[in-house]
Amino acid sequence: MKIPIIERGFIPPDPVAPDSLKGIPRQQTNPVRWKGDSWQDFVDHLKADGVIIRQERSECAVFDTDSGGLAYGLPHGIVRPNSAEDISKTLKAAQTYKVPVTTRGGGLTTEGESVAFGGLLLDMTSMNNVLEINQETMTVRTEAGIFWHQLAEMLRRDGMDYLSAPLNLTASVGGTLGVGGIDVNSPRLGCSADQAVALQVVTPTGEIVECSETENPELMERVLLGYGQFGVITEATLKIRKFSPITMKYFYYSSLRTAIEDLQFIAKEDAADYCGILTIIDRAITLLVAFDSDEREKEFNERWRKKMRGHGEIGFGIRMALHYLLHPWRFKEALYIIGRRLTLFPEFSRTEFMRDNKIVDRTVVFSRAVWKYWGGRQMVIPDLSAKAEKFAEAVERGNAVCRKYFKYYTLYCVGIKLRGRLPRYEMSCIPADASDIAYGCEFEPMLKDMDYSRDHLQAFKNEIYDIGVDMGLSYYRFGGMMKGYIRRVFPDEVVDRHLAMKREADPAMILNPDVIF
Amino acid sequence: MPKTKSIKKNKKGYESCSGCGVCLLVCPQWRRTSSMSVTRKARARAMQAGVLPEEIASSIDACLVCGSCEPACPEEISITSMNIEQRIRLNRARSKYPSWYPVPLKKAFISDNSILRRSTIVLAGGSGLGQKTCEHIINLLGGSKKAGLAADDGRDIAALIEAGMVLDDERIKYFLNNLRYADTLVVAEGILHLPLREWLPGKKIKGFGEALMDIRAIRRSLGPEDMYIIESRGYHSDFERLVKYYDRLRHETGCQMNLDLQRIAIPTGASSLQARHNIETAGCLEHAKWIMKGRRVKRIVVEDFADIKVFQLITDIPVIHISGLI
Ligand SMILES: Cc1cc2nc3c(=O)[nH]c(=O)nc-3n(C[C@H](O)[C@H](O)[C@H](O)COP(=O)(O)OP(=O)(O)OC[C@H]3O[C@@H](n4cnc5c(N)ncnc54)[C@H](O)[C@@H]3O)c2cc1C
Ligand code: SF4
Ligand code: SF4
Repeated sequence: MKIPIIERGFIPPDPVAPDSLKGIPRQQTNPVRWKGDSWQDFVDHLKADGVIIRQERSECAVFDTDSGGLAYGLPHGIVRPNSAEDISKTLKAAQTYKVPVTTRGGGLTTEGESVAFGGLLLDMTSMNNVLEINQETMTVRTEAGIFWHQLAEMLRRDGMDYLSAPLNLTASVGGTLGVGGIDVNSPRLGCSADQAVALQVVTPTGEIVECSETENPELMERVLLGYGQFGVITEATLKIRKFSPITMKYFYYSSLRTAIEDLQFIAKEDAADYCGILTIIDRAITLLVAFDSDEREKEFNERWRKKMRGHGEIGFGIRMALHYLLHPWRFKEALYIIGRRLTLFPEFSRTEFMRDNKIVDRTVVFSRAVWKYWGGRQMVIPDLSAKAEKFAEAVERGNAVCRKYFKYYTLYCVGIKLRGRLPRYEMSCIPADASDIAYGCEFEPMLKDMDYSRDHLQAFKNEIYDIGVDMGLSYYRFGGMMKGYIRRVFPDEVVDRHLAMKREADPAMILNPDVIF
Repeated sequence: MPKTKSIKKNKKGYESCSGCGVCLLVCPQWRRTSSMSVTRKARARAMQAGVLPEEIASSIDACLVCGSCEPACPEEISITSMNIEQRIRLNRARSKYPSWYPVPLKKAFISDNSILRRSTIVLAGGSGLGQKTCEHIINLLGGSKKAGLAADDGRDIAALIEAGMVLDDERIKYFLNNLRYADTLVVAEGILHLPLREWLPGKKIKGFGEALMDIRAIRRSLGPEDMYIIESRGYHSDFERLVKYYDRLRHETGCQMNLDLQRIAIPTGASSLQARHNIETAGCLEHAKWIMKGRRVKRIVVEDFADIKVFQLITDIPVIHISGLI
């Protein structure tokens, strides 16, 4: 979508459709705070039912925003459930008294989806027990509020590992299954939601239901990738595998398109166990590939390595040096690349995380680096997801938007292997026209020590999301889902069908209101 | 005479907290209670929202000052000193201290000339090591000509720091005076490592673990069937250096350690003020159970003497102090 050149004194039409943000001003996407009618009756009811509810300022303030740090809202109270029964009682009462309930795991959303604008906040992190590790079926049963870090910790004591999870250890299993969960091995193993074999869910009306692809499959399909609209995930059975340290290699590019083509080539040929793109600046792009075993690495070296058009570190370093010698006025850019190289890359090879040149605990390594170098009190990570054919154009357009708004930013691109066309993919991070492997790109400005207004950040996000509307893409959900875009990016027929299902499942429309519907 | 000041000032304070929650993953109190309220993250976020220390008193009191959250924090907030500063602010506001708070000593200050010229001084602290063990440690560290056991081990100072109570500058002066000629201080109280590094720059400050593991014969006696329990406060106070030191040790000996996936030491909290009052209510047994969950080892070797009792209470596996390895 093109933003027209504006004549002085002329206010252009708002690029967001007027009906997409009902009652919400253009730049401020937070809904109005729930007024608190019937709150006290609700509280009394829960207390009588034995559910502990916390209303102190010090308790509620902890949850006043999410990782985005742009949407602020305070719950009226918090329930920290000990069991599915606690949640069932809570949701039954919420239906009766029409109290909005916001489910929260790690709170890593960036569009305020896990922020309660009044009403009750369900802090799922209290439900974090690993219930069973089964090495025969190669599955783990766990409570869904558990953080991936805790789960990894338990699995590692048995020499096991999960398949794919966000490169972020403070995401919870439940929150991730509801959003997607993309790892650098997702081009091969799919998203985290697709690792779920069975779930226990508390429906918006308070029934505790077991579901899988054979038992209550409709519920399973609605809850996975469902943004917490159709129930609270209380337990999950996930696939696991034997733990293995990984070997990592980097290829360096100065063309984004070439790097993307090579990424797609690796994913399509299944040439590596892990692959993803991380940019430093527009002309310094890293394609990382990694392997679970020496055999896979050997196969890559023998069959695929020569097809990679990226350079090794020394070759790329020489090219960059020549480039900046010829463009000395860009020396600050060169210094930035060197600075980044010297600080970020050693994080990936800290000796305490290395054994025999292999990275042990890769998720810890990545997660630490993500928080250290990209984290902060405000995080803006709009993203786009596309089928293979549209991906390079989407990334290039998004990159141009980043350049317009920020001096420094990072793009992170990775693929997701699809499991056919499952109902769960509808209205999710998987674009409707993708087959086999979908691709996503996250656009992340470096905000540390920078002072940008909320409007600047919001305008940036809108411009990235507008690319999605224009090109018929979807959103990857690293950076969340702006409610205002739902009707613009998905056809009315699809949204209305989901809305009807939601109304049926949640008559008082209390669970995670204002996120999707 | 070295200059004295209470403890290191914060590099960054609670206002820098991004709420990432990484500190929560390593917090023993969070692991035990599953309650966000007891975590560093919750305290920082609440303070950002204008909440007063009095309103989060139970959370401030729950902290074991184990230091685990500090090296984990990607914002490099100096969390341990921040926790203590919060205690200082809370103490000012409250009329009654918790029952586990220390009572400031009224004793005369000790001048200890017997150790003055030793190059290594051992501060055994409140570790509970008996006279015989201390003598054995002195021998291991080179004998009584080289190493000496300090009569004034600063345990009262450690307790006051932990509780966020006022430190008497005179008291600290006397304490440091006895240590002024030594090159190396072997300090059992992990909480003293950071202030000692500040107060006596240039001196090597080591925990029992590092001091004794530097001895090859001791290192050699560790093996894959040992569970080695690092004293968390000292370790976290010099994390960037010690994480590599212990990684080498783990690699060399094959022993298991109380390190989590982030290489943060999982503490039992046995040396905390709360545990000195009551190890059960302080949660030490649960922390120790979590450390041992799923581990198949034949011996537990601890750096902190207080950990012996904790592990003995939860397992039949023999537990020894590191000095008992040879
Ligand atoms: C620094 C950073 C790095 C990130 N890296 C990655 C990455 O590598 N890969 C990736 O895929 N994502 C990534 N993300 C996005 C983030 O990991 C996802 O949003 C995520 O998985 C959220 O998990 P959470 O527990 O924080 O969920 P929350 O943010 O708490 O919740 C997410 C949504 O799920 C709902 N929800 C929460 N718990 C439950 C439950 N038990 N049952 C039902 N619904 C629930 C919430 O209401 C909300 O709508 C990153 C985000 C940040 C801030
Ligand atoms: S010092 Fe230890 S107990 Fe206190 S908040 Fe940090 S990790 Fe938790
Ligand atoms: S790790 Fe640091 S920045 Fe993150 S929540 Fe804890 S105190 Fe805040």
